[in-house]
Amino acid sequence: MMIETVKLTKSFKGKNVVDEINFYIDEGESVGLLGPNGAGKSTTISVISSLIKPSAGDVKLYGKSIIKNPAAIRKILGIVPQEIALYEELSAYENLKFFGEIYKVKRSVLEERIQEILDMVGLRERQKELVKTFSGGMKRRVNIGAALLHRPKIIILDEPTVGIDPQSRNHILETVQKLNKENGTTILYTSHYMEEVEQLCKRVYIMDHGKIVASGSKTELLNILSSEDTIKIHLNETSDDILKKIQQIESVRHVDETDDGIRIISKKGNNILSSLIHTVESQGAEITNYQIETPSLEDVFLHLTGRTLRD
Amino acid sequence: MFAVFKTQIRKELRSPWALILLLVGSIVLTLIFANIDQDTSTTVPIFSTEEKKEEVLNKWEPLLNKNSNFNFVVEEDTAARKLVEEGEHTAVLQLFEHDYRLITNSSMPAVQMLEDYVHMLFTTEAQLQAAAGNNNVAALRAEVESYLQEAPLQIQTEALDGGEVPDYNMGLQLLFGFTLFMAMFTIGFQVNAVSADRANGVWDRMILSPISKTAMYTGHLCYSFFIGFLQVGLVFLIFRYILHYDLGGHLGMILFVAAIFSLSMVSVAMLFTGFIKTPEQFQVIYSSVIPIIPVISGVYMPPGTLSNPILLFIADLFPLQHAMNSLMDIALYGAGWDDIALQIAFMLLIGVICMGVGINLIERRNN
Ligand SMILES: Nc1ncnc2c1ncn2[C@@H]1O[C@H](COP(=O)(O)OP(=O)(O)O)[C@@H](O)[C@H]1O
Ligand SMILES: [Mg+2]
Repeated sequence: MMIETVKLTKSFKGKNVVDEINFYIDEGESVGLLGPNGAGKSTTISVISSLIKPSAGDVKLYGKSIIKNPAAIRKILGIVPQEIALYEELSAYENLKFFGEIYKVKRSVLEERIQEILDMVGLRERQKELVKTFSGGMKRRVNIGAALLHRPKIIILDEPTVGIDPQSRNHILETVQKLNKENGTTILYTSHYMEEVEQLCKRVYIMDHGKIVASGSKTELLNILSSEDTIKIHLNETSDDILKKIQQIESVRHVDETDDGIRIISKKGNNILSSLIHTVESQGAEITNYQIETPSLEDVFLHLTGRTLRD
Repeated sequence: MFAVFKTQIRKELRSPWALILLLVGSIVLTLIFANIDQDTSTTVPIFSTEEKKEEVLNKWEPLLNKNSNFNFVVEEDTAARKLVEEGEHTAVLQLFEHDYRLITNSSMPAVQMLEDYVHMLFTTEAQLQAAAGNNNVAALRAEVESYLQEAPLQIQTEALDGGEVPDYNMGLQLLFGFTLFMAMFTIGFQVNAVSADRANGVWDRMILSPISKTAMYTGHLCYSFFIGFLQVGLVFLIFRYILHYDLGGHLGMILFVAAIFSLSMVSVAMLFTGFIKTPEQFQVIYSSVIPIIPVISGVYMPPGTLSNPILLFIADLFPLQHAMNSLMDIALYGAGWDDIALQIAFMLLIGVICMGVGINLIERRNN
């Protein structure tokens, strides 16, 4: 076990933003931390990286607490903060050089290292340009590059793909995957995008309101839903009344309206279709499309919290 | 530490305009407001319409020009009047045998001073005339003058170095004042980079890197000091060697005081940073507070004008007052190290206290 938290708690003004969290990361693993905005992901990361002290509990690195000896984790950690933390007035190259210097990378290898990282984030051609002229995606790539100069054994990325173009996003996902697969770097990847975590991470922790509500591999998490079905229906017309009536059907656990029809989670096995048709028709509407979906992590989250990730 | 220092410099060189503006600003302000060039004493045309014109002018012209800041030159009657009418001179002096008339188009203090001077001269002359009766006025004047040299009651004035007391030089005061004033801005804006780093997240990244907190602060503060001192030093050197101003003989000491002042101002700016949350607020608050300091420190006024004890006390809390006193003492009175030691000590004390409190406030806000 590389990193382990024990009943980790952080409170601001008496409110537990991180609430007795237990989790671990093995060396070489790629772990996802998934949760909606405000779940407490960034705070958790700040405590693990020794930037802020926990209110209670402990963070251990190879079994030793880092609270008293933060130097141990700082040496092997590369952190990619949620907000872009760069000098916008300087070029991509100058930024990387600065972070290389404060990380005390030997001068003899620094130049080569910078070029290697610029290649990795796909900005070698534009290294002389000022960061403030970059697009959001390019800034995020430099932001990641700045955490890699000292070749950290573990990299923590805090929502590195928020608000950027798909191309940059793919580039970032590939970079992270490469770091993990080829260099054996341990990854803790935070996001509120389900797909990214599904793609990158072997193991996932789902966090909500400061607590870890579920954890495990993707299959393990999906098994949580083994007793439920997710059904999508389309109606020729919808209203809040119809949604309410559907909610009242006995086997229905959850109803909400998505971009693509009405989503219903119900107990497995019950033949819900006839009750659905009955309910909808009694409201003067008609079902135009009906399908049972394979559940996703998103559905797991919905099941656990009653909220969608993007609430 | 060196990485932090270097990177701040690199950032500054990217957009050095604020710095250049403040540097040029100190020079321009001084040139505009401090008419420091003592050679250009005011010229006052004199003329006479008396019959014995030559005689009258020959009598008064040397008397007027004797120990005076004004330069009286003889003009033709009509030409002289024209000079005032067209505004080329603010005043001309019409002379009679025992009287004068000042023709002026202004009520500026300078004209008042001219009037006072001429009035005094004519009164003295009239008294001498009366005392001498029909005897030789010139002989009596010489007698009076030599008596005054050895008068039974004498006021002794002595400069710090024991030499003659020079006239107070307001221009020099403004030169120092504006330069230090502008440097206060420069230093403040540089120190504000600490807040900027904290706001943009670079600070947190540095905390998680192997460099120490001390190195982070030292890098930033050394840089701010360096830029502030560079600005003051450059302005002084430009005035001394390019514009040939007389800054007294001890340029080394002047630069030393400038360095201590910059150091102490870095700390004051740090204290501001401790109280203020965001770099934007800093810009606003700092820029509104700083201009008050030279006013209460009496930079724009002759010494001794300010007497409100509260203002004097507040002024003492800022390094500007102490730096100004030391600089004037050095440049004007040739003060030595002993004479300015107390002022230097004050500035260092301010520096240590502000730095301590400032950093403490910043660190406390972190948790
Ligand atoms: N320094 C702080 N002071 C007070 N409240 C904070 C602070 N940092 C975070 N919070 C609160 O803690 C909660 C979790 O925030 P955060 O860890 O940023 O969540 P996430 O990264 O999952 O979006 C939020 O409600 C946020 O307002
Ligand atoms: Mg966050």
